[in-house]
Amino acid sequence: MRKSLILPFVGLAILAIFTYFFINKGEKDNKKNITLPSLLFESEDFYDKKTLNQKDLDKFYVVNFFASWCKPCLAEHPLLMELQSKGIKIIGINFRDDEENFVQWINEHGNPFFHIIRDDGSIAYEMGLIGVPETFFIEDSEIQKKVQGPLFYEDIEKYL
Amino acid sequence: MKILKSIYNLFFVIFFSLFINIALANINQLNDYYKTIRCLVCEGQSIQESDTEFAINLKEQIQKKYDSGMDLKTINQELINIYGEEISFNPSNNHFILWFLPLLILLIIFFLVRNKYRKN
Repeated sequence: MRKSLILPFVGLAILAIFTYFFINKGEKDNKKNITLPSLLFESEDFYDKKTLNQKDLDKFYVVNFFASWCKPCLAEHPLLMELQSKGIKIIGINFRDDEENFVQWINEHGNPFFHIIRDDGSIAYEMGLIGVPETFFIEDSEIQKKVQGPLFYEDIEKYL
Repeated sequence: MKILKSIYNLFFVIFFSLFINIALANINQLNDYYKTIRCLVCEGQSIQESDTEFAINLKEQIQKKYDSGMDLKTINQELINIYGEEISFNPSNNHFILWFLPLLILLIIFFLVRNKYRKN
C-alpha cells in the first residue's frame, strides 16, 4: 500500500519542479529587452522643432503612443490631462497618423503632452508596440511599467 | 549596323530580365519571411496575411531594414529580442519537454496501472 503511494508522489514532485522552473523561465523571457530608443531623443517636437533634452525631463515621466484614428486614445485622454496637471511630463508619440487629423484632434481635445513626436513607426517598432494606445512609465531612464490599451484610473492612481 | 542594334537589344532584354528577376526574388524572399512572423494583434495570422496597423508597420520596418542591407537572420533575432519568441512561427528547438511531458505522464500512468493489476 505504502509503496504504491510513493510513485505518484515522486511523479507529482517532479512535475511541480518542472512547472516551477518553466514558469520562472517564462517570466524571464517576458521581460523583453526593450530599452528607450535613441530615436526618442533625436526626434523633433512637432510644434517647436526642438529635440528632447534628457535634462528637461524629471526622474519620472511617461511615454504615450496615440493616434487621432484611435478611439480608445480618446477614452484615456482625460487621464493624461490629469497627469499633466499634476506636473508629470508626458512624451506623446503620434503613431502613423495624418498630420491634418492629428492637429485637429489636438486642438479639439487639448494637449497634455510635453513633447510630441510624429512617428512613421520606427520608434514604435523599437519599443515593441503592438497597438495604440500604449503607455510606458519610465523612472531613472528605465521602463518600469507598460500598459497596453487605454489607461484606467487604477493605472495612474499612485502617481497622482 | 543591324547586328549591333540587335546585340544591343539582346543585352537590354537580358539586363532588364535579370533586374526584374532580382527584384522579384527579393520580394518573394521577404514575402516568405513575413509568413513566419506572427501578427500579435490577431495571433493566428502571420503579418503577411494580416492588415492590422501593427502588421503593416512591422512589414514596413522589416522592408526598411532589409533594404539597408541587414540580413533576415539578424532582423529575426532583433524581432525576437523586442517582441519575445512568440513573434516567430518557428520557435527555437528548446521546447522538447513541452512535447514529451504528455508522453511522460502517460508512461507513469501506464506503469501505475500495470503495477496495480500485477498485484491483483
